[in-house]
Amino acid sequence: MRALFRNPLGLIGLFVTLFVLAAMIAGPWISPYSPTEADYMALLSPPSWGHPFGTDSFGRDVLTRILYGARVSFSVATTGICAAAFIGAVAGLVSAYFGGWWSAIIMRISDLLFSFPSFVLALFLMVLLGFGLANIATAIALIYIPIFTRLTRNMALLVKDEPWVQAAELLGQSTTSILGREILPNIAAPIFVQMALGLAFGIVIEAGLSFLGLGVQPPDPSLGTIMADGREYFQRSPWVLTLSGAAISIALLGLNLLSDGIRDVMDPKLRARL
Amino acid sequence: MADTKGINRRQTLKLGAGALGLGTIGAPYWQGTAQAQAPTLRAAITGFNVINTLDPAKASLIPEFYIIYGVFNSLLKFNAKMEIAPDLAESFSIVDPKTLEFKLRKGVKFQDGSDFSADDVKFSIERVLDEKTASPNRGKLQSITNITIVGSDTIRLETKAPFAPLLNYMTNTRTATQIVSRNALKTMGDEAFGKNPVGTGRYRIKDWKSGEMIELTGFAGAFEGAPKIMNVRCPMIAEESSGMTAILGNQVDLTSTAPFADIPTLEQKQDIRVIKQAGLNTRYIALNNKKAPFDDVHFRRAVSMAFDRNVLVKAVIFGEGIATPGILPPSMWPDNKPAVSDWVQFNPERSRAEFAKSKYKPGQEGTILIWGSNWWRRIGEIFVGQVNQVLGTKLSVQASDFNAGYARAKAGDYDAMVMGWLGFVDPDEFMGEMVGSKGFRNIHSYASEKMDALLEKGRMELDPMKRKLVYREAELLMLDDMPLLPCFTSNVHNLMRSNASGFTQLPYSNFADQFGTVQIG
Amino acid sequence: MAFAGGMIRRLTNRLGGVFVLALLGSAAVFFAMRMGAGDPAIAALGDFATPEAIAVFRTKWGLDQAVILQYWKWLLNALQGDFGASMTVAANVPIAKLIASRLPNTMFIGLYALTIAVLISLSAGTLSVLRHGKFADTVATSFAVLGISMPDFWLSYVLIYIFALGLGIFPSYGFVTPAESFSAALYSGLLPALAVAAPMAAAFTRILRTALLETLHREHVRVARSFGFREAFIFIHYVMRNALIPYVTVVGLQIRYILGGTVVVERIFGVPGIGALMVDAAFARDYPVVQACALTFPIGVLSVNFIVDLICAALNPRETT
Repeated sequence: MRALFRNPLGLIGLFVTLFVLAAMIAGPWISPYSPTEADYMALLSPPSWGHPFGTDSFGRDVLTRILYGARVSFSVATTGICAAAFIGAVAGLVSAYFGGWWSAIIMRISDLLFSFPSFVLALFLMVLLGFGLANIATAIALIYIPIFTRLTRNMALLVKDEPWVQAAELLGQSTTSILGREILPNIAAPIFVQMALGLAFGIVIEAGLSFLGLGVQPPDPSLGTIMADGREYFQRSPWVLTLSGAAISIALLGLNLLSDGIRDVMDPKLRARL
Repeated sequence: MADTKGINRRQTLKLGAGALGLGTIGAPYWQGTAQAQAPTLRAAITGFNVINTLDPAKASLIPEFYIIYGVFNSLLKFNAKMEIAPDLAESFSIVDPKTLEFKLRKGVKFQDGSDFSADDVKFSIERVLDEKTASPNRGKLQSITNITIVGSDTIRLETKAPFAPLLNYMTNTRTATQIVSRNALKTMGDEAFGKNPVGTGRYRIKDWKSGEMIELTGFAGAFEGAPKIMNVRCPMIAEESSGMTAILGNQVDLTSTAPFADIPTLEQKQDIRVIKQAGLNTRYIALNNKKAPFDDVHFRRAVSMAFDRNVLVKAVIFGEGIATPGILPPSMWPDNKPAVSDWVQFNPERSRAEFAKSKYKPGQEGTILIWGSNWWRRIGEIFVGQVNQVLGTKLSVQASDFNAGYARAKAGDYDAMVMGWLGFVDPDEFMGEMVGSKGFRNIHSYASEKMDALLEKGRMELDPMKRKLVYREAELLMLDDMPLLPCFTSNVHNLMRSNASGFTQLPYSNFADQFGTVQIG
Repeated sequence: MAFAGGMIRRLTNRLGGVFVLALLGSAAVFFAMRMGAGDPAIAALGDFATPEAIAVFRTKWGLDQAVILQYWKWLLNALQGDFGASMTVAANVPIAKLIASRLPNTMFIGLYALTIAVLISLSAGTLSVLRHGKFADTVATSFAVLGISMPDFWLSYVLIYIFALGLGIFPSYGFVTPAESFSAALYSGLLPALAVAAPMAAAFTRILRTALLETLHREHVRVARSFGFREAFIFIHYVMRNALIPYVTVVGLQIRYILGGTVVVERIFGVPGIGALMVDAAFARDYPVVQACALTFPIGVLSVNFIVDLICAALNPRETT
């Protein structure tokens, strides 16, 4: 932890992320506006004291919508990534530890999912499953499972021949216990880093899908739908798209810097073996 | 030190290579557009990018007809005042209520050099009527019983009963009655003809890249006269806003649509002209009359009074349209006066009173399917917001794409859905198809004998003024029954660069028919 | 000798793997598409779809047969190289022709973007390592992180707004294909390539910087220094060469992104590419086109992976799998 403080960029990342989180949590209480109620008298008005980011095409305050929308985007991305991390980690551990048929099947499926470009896969899933938040989370999970699988597997392969694992086996510890107590904690750090990166990525995917109109159901905001709305009226009111895009970028910037900082601080040898 | 110098040298090399690369990119720009060729009209099809066939009998999509209008002619067309005018028929007469006679022009040539004759007319119309062609427009012409050629240049159409829409259906609009070359079709076969059509219009297809662009070349021997500009490129730009940036950046000279929200800013610009007028279209919310909650007429009426159509016009299409009490556009109103009905006036109190008469209570749920581009969806969103506020219902929207939504609607698996149609030229296309019990756009499961009788009367009334009154009566009946919620009619727009002229916009979404008269500079 | 033999074995293994994956993928896509809601007939015929017209359409394309039978027929044809024709997105156009006309455009923009990204990242990464810890390093790293934080479609609009509409130096829309004119393609393709390149350049810079820092402190570098080699020589042959391995790996991973992740950029700039094709086809329920695209991606990606592996093996005299 102390090492993190010595890394200036990581520190900035930490602060930005904390600020964004705070804004997301506290924002709805601070803002006097509703994110979904329309005000037809104030359509697409430029930034002003009353509306720091202006209003969108329904007359809703953009800043409020961004704060609410950030919550939605973050929760969708987090759900997707956590699911992916869980399933991917289990699959990777199984594949590394047991090898053989299990490994072959798991890695084949993983490769199959991985060979599709992420956005195309997400889009395809949305067309199939229908639109909406739950399906976006599913799509994000499906995109990221192969990445976690491969990561966990590679890490576990490195660790599984370590003496303390072999000792645990000799002592008769159950497989689940070995996987869960011996191997997993030692490879957890890169997984967390990847989760942070995946979170950023998941938010961009959600934004892209909502941007194309496949995402969150109206009138609920998400970062992507705000941008989509802003894009439609870009000529007339460029601030909506510009500012919401900037908001996403800042949030992601914080996340990326933070994850960089964590990575810099960790054991540098593990990084090279990826 | 020695090391830093070495590294710096390599870096400079890399930067130099990069700069050279950028230089070659800039080169063509600096060379300037030294186009010593004939001027090309760049007319962008915006908002669509799928054209499957240019065979008028088989075409069904709007961009397909955009091009068909320039490649073919029909017997008749609409002039700038939306009056019926001669096209391939130089005159017509109503011999008796069941017979129309057209005198055809002489000396007209098809684009492959062959002569146009009455045989081609007979062939073209019979083709649409033929079940094997499976023309989406077959239903329109079904009342035709006989097509006879009289002499060498007259064609006679006989119908089962007096059929008022027939004249409108013989125009060069979305009606499949464009005249095709019989010989060319027989030689090429249907599929090839759909890709390389032969008509009498001013342009033929030169090149066609699916989903990207169509290139047209002028036909100097057209009976309308050789087109002023012989080369036309039609890029297909799926995003309307991209089309707008394209014309702003002078990549194209003309667009087929424009985004509603940007009209006010576009009208301020000097280098672009916005051409607009009320369109022949209708936007409404379809209701499933056989499923709760819209199976109760009191609920339907209550909902209709619970939202303000003027707000919709302002917030959805930014004022580029007009609220309509009914599904007929303003040009089809008798004396240009709208129907007057309380059922479509925004009135929260009356709405709540009517709601109380229905079998539903506040908190009632229902789903409105929305789809397509932003402004279509907003209709649903604003509607739901207002109705929920006035009646305390819990209606919600569900987004999907048009395909899935329409499939559901046709199967009857929906509560309500935002819908609209454009490019119709006859009131029977609107009313007959949508509220006639056998109309194939009637996804509302609405059947009323009284309505069917009125619609049949409208089909048989040949006097235009009397006809409008019949449809007015039908509209008022429809508003009483409220099988759907009419919303508004929107304007049609074309954008054109200020240095171009000669494009006459018509409200049914025309396009290539005008290319021949356009001039640049 | 042994190397070549090993290569051939690997090649056959890989090809087998690609084939199996392609088969699985195509089956998954096939059945999945038909389970989803939507009807290609409506997509093709639009709002004029009468029941008769729909019926004719379905018969024509064999949609009224059992799904397994449809898949079997498709598979048989595909194995012979016949991918059929498009149903709704570009009716009756042979799909092979359609993809052949679209794929090069995506690849052009992709390679263009890749080149830009590689040039930028090589310079920026090297610079930030040589000035490690100083201001230049922080700036370069910040830009790199910023690059991967921005959604690429947002960047597209910013680029259009500034360079096309604002300064007017580049076209805001319309891509001239390289087949028509290479230099015009370079010109009209610059903005979309930049939008695609930015996140890649950022990712590449980061990995290069990390890898370089890593390698600079390794044993063999210190040993080489103690031999008295020139710093520049050490840099190229010891440091850079080793750092390039993870660098090239990451570059290879990004190829997946180029093939399909540029969908939105393609739509905004009007580049007729394969990503946009697949999206349009998916919306229009054009099953055969989606199938064919679904095949293209795994094959493309896996081929690239193979090439990347070869390059890495060539770079590293010690075989690391």
